[in-house]
Amino acid sequence: MASQKEVKSRIASIKNINKITRAMEMVAAARLRRAEQRIEDLRPYSEGIRKLTRTAAAHAGSIPRVPAMEEREKVETVGVVLVTGDRGLAGAFNSNIIREGMRTGQRVREEGAKASYSVVGKKGVSALTFRKQEIAGAYTGFTDRPAFADAREIGEAMTARYVDGEVDRVELIYNRFVSPLTQHVWRQTLLPLQQAEVIGEGAEAEAEAEAEVSEAERFQAKSEWFFEPEAEELLTRLIPEYVTISVYRALLESAASELGARMTAMRNAAENAESIMDDLTLEMNRARQAEITQEILEVVGGAEALS
Amino acid sequence: MIDVEVLTPEGEVFEGEVRMVATRTEVGQIGILANHAPVLAALRPTELRLKVSDSETKRYAQAHGWLQVFGNRARLLVEEAIPPESLDAGALKEQLSDAEQRLSESDAESAEYARAQKDRDRAEAFLSIAQG
Repeated sequence: MASQKEVKSRIASIKNINKITRAMEMVAAARLRRAEQRIEDLRPYSEGIRKLTRTAAAHAGSIPRVPAMEEREKVETVGVVLVTGDRGLAGAFNSNIIREGMRTGQRVREEGAKASYSVVGKKGVSALTFRKQEIAGAYTGFTDRPAFADAREIGEAMTARYVDGEVDRVELIYNRFVSPLTQHVWRQTLLPLQQAEVIGEGAEAEAEAEAEVSEAERFQAKSEWFFEPEAEELLTRLIPEYVTISVYRALLESAASELGARMTAMRNAAENAESIMDDLTLEMNRARQAEITQEILEVVGGAEALS
Repeated sequence: MIDVEVLTPEGEVFEGEVRMVATRTEVGQIGILANHAPVLAALRPTELRLKVSDSETKRYAQAHGWLQVFGNRARLLVEEAIPPESLDAGALKEQLSDAEQRLSESDAESAEYARAQKDRDRAEAFLSIAQG
């Protein structure tokens, strides 16, 4: 059995771990609220872009074929964008993405194509470097608080690579925020852009689109719209914006997921530290009791020997 | 007076009534007054000016974006709208030379070239705003 002194110093160090992990849990919780707010802040903008697209589409008559929407018949290289974090201590947050990324790479090779990785977050970059994977683009230093400019850099780089034929498809892998306890690994085809992505999906979106179109038609009947440039040209510029918005949303979801995962991981660690502290305290009390018993026995033994 | 809403992906920057909105579209400078005809336009980086009253004008360094005017309401969806005083001229100079470098290295037909051009336009416009 460990001596009282040893157990005491272990209790002290576990106590420190408990304090640190509790503090990290609280920091993550506070920042998580802001991260969730940022997801909310994006919505009016993305909805605005969608409405603009519908108005322009109603006037142009149809959605023009833009290069970012054209599907390739032969897929030789698949761009895989992995969104990880800059820091660890967040449970399986980073490793789930890396595992899914490797699996996707495997699948792409089975299709007879090559995977070209772009990575967001220091953790992902170091994991891929360790696995000796070539990295086409590394984006780090902002994962806990991504700005739209970061998403623009990634989104426009991927679109340019797609349009210039360097990649024939782009997949985006990130953690989707469900709740502080749950994150889902999500895989999304970023390019080619799907028509449904641009106009909206499902019956609700369709009904909304219809209402929007007839509204636009009513507008047109009353007044003449000015387009600068022409509606069709405007659409060809507007549509690639969806790629950047998708990337930005993924970065925001991932940031919230990272904080949620860290909060949960740190709460578990703090709780674990507490239960170890309880066990150790019990052990220390036992050790102390054993020592006292031992002393009494010695005293009693000594007295008996004398009498 | 006209209702104006300036939205960026990071949140709302301005919402309220103004006398005039001055910005720049693909075609050229545009000033929107009350009861302007419906417009849908692509915006280029410039100094966005919102004339709130005779004595007060709000200024923003505005990046690429979109403008929709309808029913005495102007909605600007822009990638960035930053107060001029928070621009960093040094960083902008770096971005400008980086964009120019990429322009000179890429094929004029490529999407990469168009992307570099967009970055250059933004850096150029923001830098001139930063330098007053």
